Amino acid sequence: MRVRIPSPLHSYSAGSSLVEANGRTVDEVLLQLDARFPGIRFRIIDEQDAIRPHIRLFVDGKPTAALNGALTPTSELMIVCALSGG
Amino acid sequence: MPSLARYRGHLNLPEVGLEGQRRLSEASVLCIGTGGLGSPAALYLAAAGIGRLGLVDADEVDESNLHRQVLFGTADVGRSKVEVARRTLEALNPTISIVTHDTRLGPDNTAEILAGYDVVVDGTDNFPTRYLINEHCVQLGKPDVWASIYRFEGQVSVFDSRRGPCYRCLFREEPTDDLAPSCSDAGVLGVLPGILGTMQAAEAIKLILGVGEPLIGRLLVFDALGMRWDELAIGKDPSCPTCSGSVATPPTTARPAAREVRAIAPADLRRRLDSGDRLTLVDCREPHEWEAFHLDASRLIPLAQLPARHSEIEPHGSVVVLCQRGPRSVQAARFLTGAGFPDVAYLDGGLHAWMREIPIV
Repeated sequence: MRVRIPSPLHSYSAGSSLVEANGRTVDEVLLQLDARFPGIRFRIIDEQDAIRPHIRLFVDGKPTAALNGALTPTSELMIVCALSGG
Repeated sequence: MPSLARYRGHLNLPEVGLEGQRRLSEASVLCIGTGGLGSPAALYLAAAGIGRLGLVDADEVDESNLHRQVLFGTADVGRSKVEVARRTLEALNPTISIVTHDTRLGPDNTAEILAGYDVVVDGTDNFPTRYLINEHCVQLGKPDVWASIYRFEGQVSVFDSRRGPCYRCLFREEPTDDLAPSCSDAGVLGVLPGILGTMQAAEAIKLILGVGEPLIGRLLVFDALGMRWDELAIGKDPSCPTCSGSVATPPTTARPAAREVRAIAPADLRRRLDSGDRLTLVDCREPHEWEAFHLDASRLIPLAQLPARHSEIEPHGSVVVLCQRGPRSVQAARFLTGAGFPDVAYLDGGLHAWMREIPIV
């Protein structure tokens, strides 16, 4: 499945805004991402396994707060990070 | 209403026409920030004939603004942004009224300034002011036409708590300093705010005219490198402390106090290194920052990787943590202290201060 990486996390994904990953749930995908890009999950998920409050996750354009939410191989997970620049 | 010839392009549109142009001339819009986003937004709002255009900014024009802040020119460096903007916009359209607010928004003046306008355009460059604007727009029942940018990415939406989510429904809290992206360090493509700010002007005009589909309940994310837009659905958060109907949270920028850690000044660190003290220097920035500049004696462990990699640090010696300006190294020093390292300090002011204060030999 496709995972869209926000600009502030490109330093973890070697500059890529789009990567491929596999997983049956959102969290499985994030864990796989972390194995490839160490530290990226911690920027998205805090120590209590909650989505950080300045991050939102969208599956196929719709918001999700469930890390155990089911995904399909054709799903697209988009990670959105609050930006402040103007 | 002033000369109709100026607005012929609008008058020929059935969605605007004479009545729509009259609405624009009777409307008021407040542009908060006249920088990258505010420049194009204000230019198009003035050109469109918004009757009263307010500008908020306390800054002066800096040369580094000129690659994206198109209200200003080379000769304006050092001058008040709102005064230069007023002159530029009056030259563009002398039939409208420009009101300048040469001030920073804070808890004491925001409600009073916002109350005088129909629509608010948020073109600020920091999270505390964005939340402040949102909270007052909710309280006053005004639409917040919002955009933000970073490097090659932009986001735009319209927050109107009467009809959809507010900013805090989308992002409950601003990132902590160690997780916050910093535009000044990361850079921004100059044309990017031109695109986003122009969309803000379009949304403000649509709201005033009452035509089309406003971006309420939708977040558009723009990727300039991939040249693509994504449309994401965003809903009202029933538990939002700002707009859920409960008492609004007082605007604040205060953060909870955290465990204090020890700082070391750049000159003191230089002395300890020169005297041969055994120190482990841990640079907790990102790899691209490390590549741009680092101290030879330091090793890179990005803050986010510290929980998994702190075992790489000698456990009984003295550790000094470095970052660009300080906030991330404070977090890292707190973490290492909590993990049992007996002597941890952070470089006060970060490598930014080091480069300013320590002569290159």
